[in-house]
Amino acid sequence: MTGPSRPNTDQDSSFIFDGMRYPARKGDTLAAALLANGIGLVGRSFKYHRPRGIMTAGVEEPNALVTVGEGGRTEPNTRATDVFVYDGLVARSQNRWPNLSLDFGAIFGLAGPVFSAGFYYKTFFGSAKRWMFYEHFIRKAAGLGNAPRDADPDRFSQRAAFCDVLVVGAGPAGIEAALEASEAGKRVILVEQDEIIGASLIRDPQEQDSAWVSESADRIRAAGGRILTRTTASGYWEHDLVTLTQRLAEPGQIPANGVAQRLWHVRAGQVILATGSSERPMAFPHNDRPGVMLSQAVRTYVRRFGVCPGQRVVIATNNDDAYLTAHALREAGAQIVAILDARPAPAGQANGFTTFNNAHPLSTKGSRHCLKSVSGLVDGVSKSWDADLLAVSGGFTPVVHLHCQAGGSLEWNDAAQAFVPAQSRQNVKTIGGAATPAAIFTSAPVVPAKKSFVDFQNDVTLADVDLAWAEGYRSVEHLKRYTTLGMATDQGKTSNMGALARLAEKQGVAIPEAGLTTFRPPYTPVTMGLFAGAAAKDAGAHKRRLALYDVHAAKKPIWQPLGYWFRPRAYPMTGENLAEAAMREARSVRTAVGMTDVSTLAKFEVSGPDAVTLLETVCATSVGKLAIGRGRYTFMLREDGFVFDDGTVWRIDENRYLLTSSTGGADRMATHLSYVRNYLHPELSVSVVNVQEHHAGIAIAGPRAKSVLAKLIGEEPPRHMSTVATKIADVAVLILAASYSGERAFEIYVDARNATPVWGACETAVVAEGGCLYGLEAMEFLRIEKGHLVVGAEIDGRMTPHDLALDKMLNKAGGFIGSAGLTRPALSEAGRRQLVGLEAVEGSIPEGSMLVTADGKSPEGHVSASAFRILEGGSIALGQLADGFLRHGEELIATSPTRGQRARVRVVAPHFYDSAGERYRD
Amino acid sequence: MTEVTISTLPAAPLWAFEIWRNPDAVATRFAAAMGFALPKMGTSGGSDALRLIRYEPTVWLLEGDASALPSILDTDGALTAIGGGITRVLLSGTGWRRLLMEGGVFDAESPAFAVGCSASTIIDHVNIRLHVQSEESCLAYVPLSYTQGILHFWQEAAKALD
Amino acid sequence: MMLINCPHCGPRAQSEFIYERTVDSVPPAGVSNDKAMQTLFTRGNPRGVDEEIWRHTFGCRAWMVVTRHRVTNGISHVRAVGPEALP
Repeated sequence: MTGPSRPNTDQDSSFIFDGMRYPARKGDTLAAALLANGIGLVGRSFKYHRPRGIMTAGVEEPNALVTVGEGGRTEPNTRATDVFVYDGLVARSQNRWPNLSLDFGAIFGLAGPVFSAGFYYKTFFGSAKRWMFYEHFIRKAAGLGNAPRDADPDRFSQRAAFCDVLVVGAGPAGIEAALEASEAGKRVILVEQDEIIGASLIRDPQEQDSAWVSESADRIRAAGGRILTRTTASGYWEHDLVTLTQRLAEPGQIPANGVAQRLWHVRAGQVILATGSSERPMAFPHNDRPGVMLSQAVRTYVRRFGVCPGQRVVIATNNDDAYLTAHALREAGAQIVAILDARPAPAGQANGFTTFNNAHPLSTKGSRHCLKSVSGLVDGVSKSWDADLLAVSGGFTPVVHLHCQAGGSLEWNDAAQAFVPAQSRQNVKTIGGAATPAAIFTSAPVVPAKKSFVDFQNDVTLADVDLAWAEGYRSVEHLKRYTTLGMATDQGKTSNMGALARLAEKQGVAIPEAGLTTFRPPYTPVTMGLFAGAAAKDAGAHKRRLALYDVHAAKKPIWQPLGYWFRPRAYPMTGENLAEAAMREARSVRTAVGMTDVSTLAKFEVSGPDAVTLLETVCATSVGKLAIGRGRYTFMLREDGFVFDDGTVWRIDENRYLLTSSTGGADRMATHLSYVRNYLHPELSVSVVNVQEHHAGIAIAGPRAKSVLAKLIGEEPPRHMSTVATKIADVAVLILAASYSGERAFEIYVDARNATPVWGACETAVVAEGGCLYGLEAMEFLRIEKGHLVVGAEIDGRMTPHDLALDKMLNKAGGFIGSAGLTRPALSEAGRRQLVGLEAVEGSIPEGSMLVTADGKSPEGHVSASAFRILEGGSIALGQLADGFLRHGEELIATSPTRGQRARVRVVAPHFYDSAGERYRD
Repeated sequence: MTEVTISTLPAAPLWAFEIWRNPDAVATRFAAAMGFALPKMGTSGGSDALRLIRYEPTVWLLEGDASALPSILDTDGALTAIGGGITRVLLSGTGWRRLLMEGGVFDAESPAFAVGCSASTIIDHVNIRLHVQSEESCLAYVPLSYTQGILHFWQEAAKALD
Repeated sequence: MMLINCPHCGPRAQSEFIYERTVDSVPPAGVSNDKAMQTLFTRGNPRGVDEEIWRHTFGCRAWMVVTRHRVTNGISHVRAVGPEALP
């Protein structure tokens, strides 16, 4: 099949298709190389497993889908027309077993009516057993390529770009527009999905030659413009943001610098769409055989790739353009057997071709690999021609996807029988062939509807459209979903207009009145890795690292994610598991001393004469009476009256306070404080600075904590809920005497960059007193036993201060956020869930379990956190229980059916340790 | 080949310099005492000894010796130490503008983002503050906890800047 | 992704901003508890222009009121909110 104009170059390469090695030329698409090697059968169709070949020469290809690449680089459902051959390319056909030529699935083609429009719906409405029977076979038989099992070894980049003018499509109109804008001094980006620019000029070099194309490209670049090839404008979003997907390596190819593809986010001042049009097929029986191709595609293979896809050619057309294909084929040495022109009278381009007017293709015959003959109707009389190629041109559909994605409207162009861009919602205009498609002659198909394919990729025929209509599906949106028309990976680029025309014909209306489905991004399929970008290789987000990360890492702790942070969960000694290590650490805090990293707590420095006003707006407790050097527990409410965070507030100077709150709520609290200060109270003289990361925090807790600290600072440590600024290891520190564990405890805050020597000094002192480090797990045991709350567990966004027994601390003066919300009647009704302690009577209490009075009864509460008594042993928990304050002493069942665990529990007060708080007072 | 090198600078004293009222009076006192004006939004002022970079309407990032500033602020604002939570990362070489487009949303390639300009933006999901020192160098203020992640991201991105 | 014209920074990508709430959901200062709860829970939901509170969280950290058409996403006005600031 090699045509005479196929250039001989010494840059030949080879590729493998279905296990066989074939030669290719530089610049070949896989489709061109397959045709050059005489391969007509490329794949099997989605539903009926009909043999399919190559229909187009572009991204609209519905038939020639292949899997390209190996291992993690495997890319299924790649259009053979949209992958350029590189040496060593490996491609496989899809949807066939055992092989492409002998495909058992083709039996579905014989049983065609079974899978007609609405098959799935009808089967579902039938008995479920029938579906169960079919499902296995359908899942196996219907479908596309398989996703790779291995991770993609390549990287994906995401990059922003800004320009005054973004031109999409580097055909003659796009190149012209980009040249003009760039030479007018504008920042210009010109994108082209092909490997080279020129588009229609590559196929039809009459208007402008390749010298003009390359000279224009040089001038655009010289003026500072950027030309991106192998780049598809795949989505048009809000405010003229266009996403581009750029292939830096071909599918399956090892990328030169590790990056396979790049996703560009381009914010443009103006977008010019020069996206051209795609040719439409014609609907007639067996129009899907290998050897039936679009006319312009045939011309592209001949002129651009030097491949003549047939030697005896029939051309079917309703417009002038196909005659250019006849000329190109004749120059390449092929014989034009006949031109079937739908137009009633000769249009004057015949040039000695055997041309029939009022002529339409009727059917084709052939083997699974190639075409053998074409029959047609000429003036209503049937004729037949021997042919190995049928080139069809059913008109031109402007590529309006991006215009529509941008919110633009369309209008009907009757001469072209196509929708063209009308009003734009954003700063976008369409030029060239996409705005002014060529005129065609229309006549309704006079052929049988059966096996007349309109959607080749999803195997939808005119008969399916007719069936949908007959069954009452009137709207185009219903037609689409019922028949799956246009829902394949090609999104109906070649099919939608044909089906729409049929629907309009059935409705007895003009095509524009039949309506149109919505164009949605992406224009062509996008690899998932591109959306993930750099995060594809990790957890999807950066891990936040503690300032003291290296110190912890050297001790090989068990790490625990906490939001984006990673914190030590426990520091196991040799042979210890997590539970053993955590219990040892907790015991050390109860009996001697322990230290832990509390750096991730939210911290805010609030200063200024109105600091108290701001704090008493945000906090539900009073702050104003706090003396310098003193602190207290506080909590914050949402406007609806529910508790949303808690922490401590410290007066560190006359007009300066330090507010701490939970790690998990840190960003939320930062936003809340900023909202209150800037939106609600811009008049206040106050500064709120987020110092969460500025201070590293070290907590030292235990009966010997005070003596450890005295040695470290060389003075009497502050009493409980007092603060002092001093030095440890010659580094300035702020010490807050606060306890979360229930023991006498201190939090040491230090500039994060100087934290290591302070940590070192503290660790030495703690170990000298017989203590050790403790992690989050031990901290959890300690705080549960003490009955301290955690945001996200006990403070779950549904609890009022009263539900948590915090109401006595509310600021009597009111005025805080949430005070109005608390007055809602429902918040003081009986039956609310309230904080309780639970101790096991039998079994150990499963975390997250439901509290019921007897098996089978409705839950009356749940367990929010469970642990074991640190010194005495025994299972304990905190929970929420309806009217819990009044139910101390009652026995319940804590059950977790999903885990098959249960325990009998007794309701008690939520303090299991030192309820009088004597241990942290001197 | 577009070149950029990524290096971490030693810790420096950094402060948040915030004005909560009478901004014109503070600006007048500041200019009189320091010999240069408080920088406008998106710009910087001062010298290596004391530099103020404006990222926010009422807050300046201050780098250097801040001892003279409390008296200038008087009761119209406050100075708060923040340096412990910030890493200074220097991007040097002509490729810094292109590097900043990776994973970004801000137009660092614009000629309007000139020497002396500043901008706060988001890069690969991390809030980063930029200060253009020269055509060949840009200083990035990166949150301490994200420093390791961003350095890794930039080092990988720098391999494929074409 | 929208482009929001920050009063302090100029046009910036939406991903630098965080949406907070609509202006009409904020109870005015000094109203009764009932009125405050009514404002909080009973809000307009226009198929058209609305006033929204946004923050340039990953930019200048300032707050603003964005007048946005909720169907077309057209932004007709952005108003700065917050303490008095120098230019």
